Amino acid sequence: MTFVKFYALLLAVCAALLAAKSLGHDLSADNAAYVQGLEGTAVIPFLYLGAKHMFTGYDHLLFLLGVIFFLYRPKDIILYVTLFTLGHSITLFLGVWGHWQVSGHLVDAIIGLSIVYKAFENIGGFKLLWGFNPDTRVAVFVFGLCHGLGLATKLQGYIASGDSLMINLLSFNLGVELGQLLALSLILIILLQLRRYAAFQSRAFAINIVLMCAGFILAGNEFAGYLFA
Amino acid sequence: MSQTPKARRIILASSGAALVAAILLTTIILPSEYGWDPLGTGAALGLMELAGEDGTPLTLQAAGPYSDSIAFALAPYESVEYKYRLEADDTMIFEWRANEEVLVDMHAEPDGAAPGYAQTFNKTRTTHGKGSYRAGFDGIHGWYWQNRTQEDVIVTLKAQGFFTESLEMGNGRSNTRQFSE
Repeated sequence: MTFVKFYALLLAVCAALLAAKSLGHDLSADNAAYVQGLEGTAVIPFLYLGAKHMFTGYDHLLFLLGVIFFLYRPKDIILYVTLFTLGHSITLFLGVWGHWQVSGHLVDAIIGLSIVYKAFENIGGFKLLWGFNPDTRVAVFVFGLCHGLGLATKLQGYIASGDSLMINLLSFNLGVELGQLLALSLILIILLQLRRYAAFQSRAFAINIVLMCAGFILAGNEFAGYLFA
Repeated sequence: MSQTPKARRIILASSGAALVAAILLTTIILPSEYGWDPLGTGAALGLMELAGEDGTPLTLQAAGPYSDSIAFALAPYESVEYKYRLEADDTMIFEWRANEEVLVDMHAEPDGAAPGYAQTFNKTRTTHGKGSYRAGFDGIHGWYWQNRTQEDVIVTLKAQGFFTESLEMGNGRSNTRQFSE
């Protein structure tokens, strides 16, 4: 019975992720046109777009799932999420400020690989195969930097420079954090539910392999996008 | 080097994850997303249509592009309409300038629409405009310029695109010109 429930939950998670995929990750065309038409400060619209970006960004969500998969203490969760947020914010601001342009596909491919990395670490791959575990805090911070870099590149096409740039950027970033908080609560609720089942510990390995596979698919798809699109 | 069962499991499972991803990517995802179909599975499964769904970036044309350059002298409060015939998805790039501010209305009239019906894209007062245009339907697509000053104004237009015909209307003039090889 617990197994049935467990798989039903797992299926629900997969369905939710697929739904999130159809929503798309980028600023949608309509949103882009709207943002481009904006002049001056627009705190609420950018707040909303930031939150929407995070909440519909399934690659971000999968990475977060990987990060908090084995975190039980609220203190740890806050630490890791803060590191991720810090990295994310730094490159978002610097990137937009300095007009950095990197290939969105390549950044997204790295984000896909970050999911692979975290899943591999979760199953104890590094420790068992190479006898050492990279410092997860550093990894999470570095991947945060990557995530922000991709966002900065995308955002530059939409956000107008000028006096209001800083305010709009700040609003967007705040929106990203709000969306992340919201998404994180959802993931946590599902994780806490999953952890109640006895099967969780024995299935954790399988879940992380699925996560890893999803990461490979995302990375491969984005790398193909870099080559073909 | 001998491996512990645990390490073997990790290597096998991780390789499996990569393998499943690679199979899904090459057989289903990449054909659907980018039309890249190395094994022919995308075509077999009828997925290739999906790749072009959100607009292939390429539209091949049999004829054209043609270049057009034209100037209009507008007396005070005189106006002119100048349009190109474009089929749906045909594109053009354009640039126009006036030596004084004019009233401009960029618009298009679909074939078969009620007389006087037009879809306006940009209506403003300015001295210049340039951009790219992709026709949303078969019809005539172009500009209305009106001189709102007391002086004579010259409007010059340069355009290049896959139009086949130009139509000029205004102040009693009516002029059609065909573009061909």
